[in-house]
Amino acid sequence: MATELPPLKKLERKTTEMVLTYEDESSYVVSYDDLRHACPCAKCSPMRNDDETSEILRQQVEAHPPEKPQIRTIGKYALAFEWQTGCSSGIFRFERIYDLALRKDPDRGKPYVHGAW
Amino acid sequence: MGGWVEVAQYIRETMGDSPVTLNSPSTGESKPAATPSPQEQKQMEQAYAQMKRKMSMEEIGRKIKHKIMVLSGKGGVGKSTVSTGLALSLAQQGHSVGILDIDITGPNVPKMMGLDGRRLHVENKRIHPAQGHLGVKVISMAFLLEDEDTPVVWRGPIKLGAIQQFIGDVEWGELDYLVIDFPPGTSDEPLTVAQSLPNIDGMVIVTTPQQVALMDSRKSITFSESLKVPVLGVVENMSGYTVQGNAQPGSTLSVAAPGGKTIEATADQAGRFQFTLDIFKEGGGKSTAEEFGVPFLGALPFDPGFVRGGDDGVHRIVSEPEGPSALAFAKVVAAIQEQLGDGSDNGLEII
Repeated sequence: MATELPPLKKLERKTTEMVLTYEDESSYVVSYDDLRHACPCAKCSPMRNDDETSEILRQQVEAHPPEKPQIRTIGKYALAFEWQTGCSSGIFRFERIYDLALRKDPDRGKPYVHGAW
Repeated sequence: MGGWVEVAQYIRETMGDSPVTLNSPSTGESKPAATPSPQEQKQMEQAYAQMKRKMSMEEIGRKIKHKIMVLSGKGGVGKSTVSTGLALSLAQQGHSVGILDIDITGPNVPKMMGLDGRRLHVENKRIHPAQGHLGVKVISMAFLLEDEDTPVVWRGPIKLGAIQQFIGDVEWGELDYLVIDFPPGTSDEPLTVAQSLPNIDGMVIVTTPQQVALMDSRKSITFSESLKVPVLGVVENMSGYTVQGNAQPGSTLSVAAPGGKTIEATADQAGRFQFTLDIFKEGGGKSTAEEFGVPFLGALPFDPGFVRGGDDGVHRIVSEPEGPSALAFAKVVAAIQEQLGDGSDNGLEII
């Protein structure tokens, strides 16, 4: 749970994925589909609660045309991704992005209940 | 077991903990340290409780990432609507959010959050907030009322002591944002909160476009300087009422608008038209923000759905999460988040 989070130094946007480079020189690739499927907003999160709706969310995400998102930092703790199509509501904490980079479950096994993990 | 009686009783019993009610002149008598008098014993207990609360407030200050005060100079500008809207909009983004309703004389946040008639619980001398829509945690003086028609009749010191307890004795847990809704005006409440809760990010001033509200908003901005709390920006509420309808495609409608203006709208190919009536003038919030050199966070539309939603306990953002009002709130939230930190110093390079 308490993985040491190295500061994210560089985020390189490719056509279908982003390359993350952390201060400890480790580097990871996260696809935009994985990122969008892990959206923490109140609309997308409940869909990951069970396999069937999670798969529907996955299909919705994959149906979007490939695009590079606009990215803005939220304070010092999160990033927001803005897309031409689909959901842009979620605020991705750096911990969440790091979980995705490490191929870990960003929800950490907890179902979404009324907006509170 | 919980309930208004339990929480109200708890507040009364522990009110002596509050520094504003401390009234303990020294007797001047010297007594052996080993045998304190009942009065000295009480003073020691009060000092201990006060110290504990101060430590608790500091801990709460650390556990809550962002604390935002929502104020207005004038009543009736929709401050609670804005507070709840901001909280829900932040929760929509996936943040953990709490809302503290400090409006003791007219606490109506619970009703707007679908928590009408709900009760708080006290466990191990800690008050546990109720959870409203989207998991937003709510603490409000309304939870102490026996019924909604009973006013809270408290003198200043008791009121301020209660506020301190609502800050220091509440088990908020880890929060990304705490939105604090105040009564209108520049009274004791914001002062107490600003002095009690460490590291407040700033205040959002809510106004409507008309001149009287704007004058009072200017007072609020000046007030913030006294509190040493930065102004995150001004939000203009009830900014314009959008009318939509259908007419013959391509036809032009002429409408008599407020202020002797005439608005024209042309129906599109599908026969749809819309126009916006600036019921309370327009652009006042922006000009006030410019006048004082503070950010303008955005304008929220005049939406009768807020009235219905407030009465029904289903906030507009919950009932219509992608509607015009929800989108307007999302823009205001984005503007606030920009003020809270643009991350320019976090060293991240985005290519």
